[in-house]
Amino acid sequence: MYMIQTVGLTKRFGSFTANDHIDLAIPEKEITCIVGENGAGKTTLMNMLYGLLEPTEGEIRIRGSQVKLRSPIDAIANGIGMVHQHFKLVPSLSVYENILLGAEITKKGGLIDRKEEIRKVEELIHNYHFELNPLDKVEDISVGSRQRVEILKMLYRNVDILILDEPTAVLTPQEANDLIDRLKDLKEKGKTIIVITHKLREVMEVSDSVVVIKRGKVVGSMRTKDTSEQELAQMMVGRDVMLTVENDRRKVSDGGVIYQAENLTTINSFGKECLKNVSFQVARGEILGIAGVEGNGQSELVKIISGLMEATAGRVMFDGEDVTNIWPDKLRQKGIGIIPEDRFAQGLCRTMTLTENAVAGYHTQKEVCRGGLMNTKVMRQRRDSQIERFDIRVGDLEGTVGALSGGNAQKIIVARELSAGPKLLIACQPTRGIDIGSIESIHRQLLEYRNQGNAVILISSELPEIMSLSDRVIVLYKGEVTGEVDPTKTDMMQIGLLMAGITDKEAAQ
Amino acid sequence: MNGKKLGAGLRGLLNCLIPILLAFLVGGIVIAVIGENPLNTYWVLLQKSLFTKVGFQNTLHYAGPMILTGLAIAVTFKANIYNMGVEGSLLLGAFFAGILGSRMTGNPFVVKLVCLAVGVLCGMAYSLVPALLKAKLRADEMVVTLMLNYALAKVLEFLTTGIFRDNGSGYVCTPMVSESAMFSRIFGKSRLTAFFFIVVAIWIVMTLYMRRGRLGYEIKAMGMNAEFAEATGMNVGKKIILLMLLSGALAGFAGAGWMMEDQYRYTLTFSGNPGLGWDGMLIALMGGHNPVGIFIASIFYAALKTGSDKINMYTNVPKEIVALIQALIVLFLAVKFIDGRFHLFERLKGKKGKESKTCS
Repeated sequence: MYMIQTVGLTKRFGSFTANDHIDLAIPEKEITCIVGENGAGKTTLMNMLYGLLEPTEGEIRIRGSQVKLRSPIDAIANGIGMVHQHFKLVPSLSVYENILLGAEITKKGGLIDRKEEIRKVEELIHNYHFELNPLDKVEDISVGSRQRVEILKMLYRNVDILILDEPTAVLTPQEANDLIDRLKDLKEKGKTIIVITHKLREVMEVSDSVVVIKRGKVVGSMRTKDTSEQELAQMMVGRDVMLTVENDRRKVSDGGVIYQAENLTTINSFGKECLKNVSFQVARGEILGIAGVEGNGQSELVKIISGLMEATAGRVMFDGEDVTNIWPDKLRQKGIGIIPEDRFAQGLCRTMTLTENAVAGYHTQKEVCRGGLMNTKVMRQRRDSQIERFDIRVGDLEGTVGALSGGNAQKIIVARELSAGPKLLIACQPTRGIDIGSIESIHRQLLEYRNQGNAVILISSELPEIMSLSDRVIVLYKGEVTGEVDPTKTDMMQIGLLMAGITDKEAAQ
Repeated sequence: MNGKKLGAGLRGLLNCLIPILLAFLVGGIVIAVIGENPLNTYWVLLQKSLFTKVGFQNTLHYAGPMILTGLAIAVTFKANIYNMGVEGSLLLGAFFAGILGSRMTGNPFVVKLVCLAVGVLCGMAYSLVPALLKAKLRADEMVVTLMLNYALAKVLEFLTTGIFRDNGSGYVCTPMVSESAMFSRIFGKSRLTAFFFIVVAIWIVMTLYMRRGRLGYEIKAMGMNAEFAEATGMNVGKKIILLMLLSGALAGFAGAGWMMEDQYRYTLTFSGNPGLGWDGMLIALMGGHNPVGIFIASIFYAALKTGSDKINMYTNVPKEIVALIQALIVLFLAVKFIDGRFHLFERLKGKKGKESKTCS
């Protein structure tokens, strides 16, 4: 008997399909992990199960019978509770008040029965062996405790199914271990649990079965005991489309180092150290690939080297100059092209015109802007030459970027950055979520650019992309470099091990 | 594809015209209830302010400072900075331009230049406070600027009734500015002065820089996608300070100008009710934060001001009807404003779509 089943569950946003005919079968009284890269569609799926989104097609069955979930209230009524990644608590209220928010116990006359409320919450905490004081204020307790409050909030509402979205993302390792024990305990008490994560070690430790989602589809579903971390890592990042661009692996590098990062370290907004002593160098005429399962520090590394985040320690040398923690426009002036991770958040402005986007980041150049006035003629010329040289399909030359497809929009960024003639290109997820034709075109551009003797830092969660384009590959795991490999002399298996944090030494043992 | 652009332009125009027409419609009903002829009243209102020589010149005279405050609002609002301190900048600029103007004599050109410069500096100094708080401490500029306006109004009241009071006058005010600090009327009969033409010059420069300049480009990028702006290398914190200073400068200039061309002395009702800074906000909204729109909206709004006196003279409708119409415009414009910032209509539409789907 399956607790939750989805049949052909599909969610489309306009022309974009976030979930494509997902068939899930979550067994009762077990822990199921759902893994996948960012943007694979995990959150969309969970939001449909929790009634936050309505499916375009398909159905959801709970205990075999079909249900329609129009809101979280419906979901809770059907026994589904969700613990979000970002807690939804009131910091100035106490633990018991938060748990009973919206379900207050009242005396006759509508006044809140504090005593009864506290008693109930104490009972709840006792039953589930949680360590919490119901009278503490939420703002005074640790992040781990806050998460326990969130879980209790759901348990109080008598849910049988608990969905946790990236529950360990904000926790310290000790708190994470504690959470895992808690979850196992809840399973013993008869709850069905779904955990969304991309931390493979936790998957292996906590779950009974795993579902791998990639590009909105289920690409693997198995018992945890029948799989391994590296198999999961490969399934998450492996691509089902063949790469057609031929890399002749011409030797163009003279070995001269142009870019050098030394001991880069930083902390994220939660105060967690997410990058530790990362060092690497790039030579002219070389593509350095940076691989890793998403969430292992790649985003932060890119932000640091593209001037959007500060390194707390370490330094970056480019062409004999110290370029640590300087602004993106200065980096571009010095000859570093940047293809940012998020196309529409950082690379382009949807509501601005093609012409305006064609000079973004370079709009202070003398040819573009003189005496505070923009030279529209030069801007249009640049736009036209970029469109022509990179074969970008544009409906309306004077229109906005928002009207372009993802592939064409990405090509605008690549064209803009390469047209400026940089000596080094930072390319982050250059082909994420775009059509095959555009992928091919961008890959060709990157190789051609390298063959002209330029350096590229390629960060991608698509392992085949890294393997086929790079001259050298370093692997990040938990914010540290776990190894460097030559992609022509290694296989996916070995990189998979490194991505799962298993270094050669450990594997040999 | 041009059709699409035209569509957006048309929508913008409608968004601006509909509230005005609605306001006139409701105002017309009120006039009819009083027992007067609304069409006749509106004809007097517009004819006397736009279609007579003196009336039109007076309208231009009133439009001057409002064009400046409208621009002062637009340069910040368009970049998603909600500077409510334009009124404060204007008052502070006006006050010290007036004080200086009353104590300075000499070459009229030099005196005027110095007084205007002081106005600009005061306006900038005033807007620097919320700008620094916003850029360095992320304090919400809307709250800070709103509150600071009240503090400033009280400080100026204190200064006017105390240290700087003109004791020779029967009411609370500062001494009158000297002859050399006054812009004189060009055409005698109307109130129009050379200051309006300075405003037009500033407006031309601002239009150029907002439409074709790096300033406009960066304001647009910041307003539409701050993350994108940062990723292309704009130091958003610095730009916030810069835009707030520009806004303060325009407002301070407007205040100094209004002092030297119309009021000549600071009184407690110097900028009218609502003040010229608040008028500027309404004008910027009416004009869609676009310099040309702001110019037209200022003329229209000033015409209402000029015309209101004439209504009293030529009809039996009280001049307060114009205040009513202004209030109604604000009310109806607010609907569009909410649409711009909170996407109310999209949300309503989205909900409707959703509901109809589940019903079917």
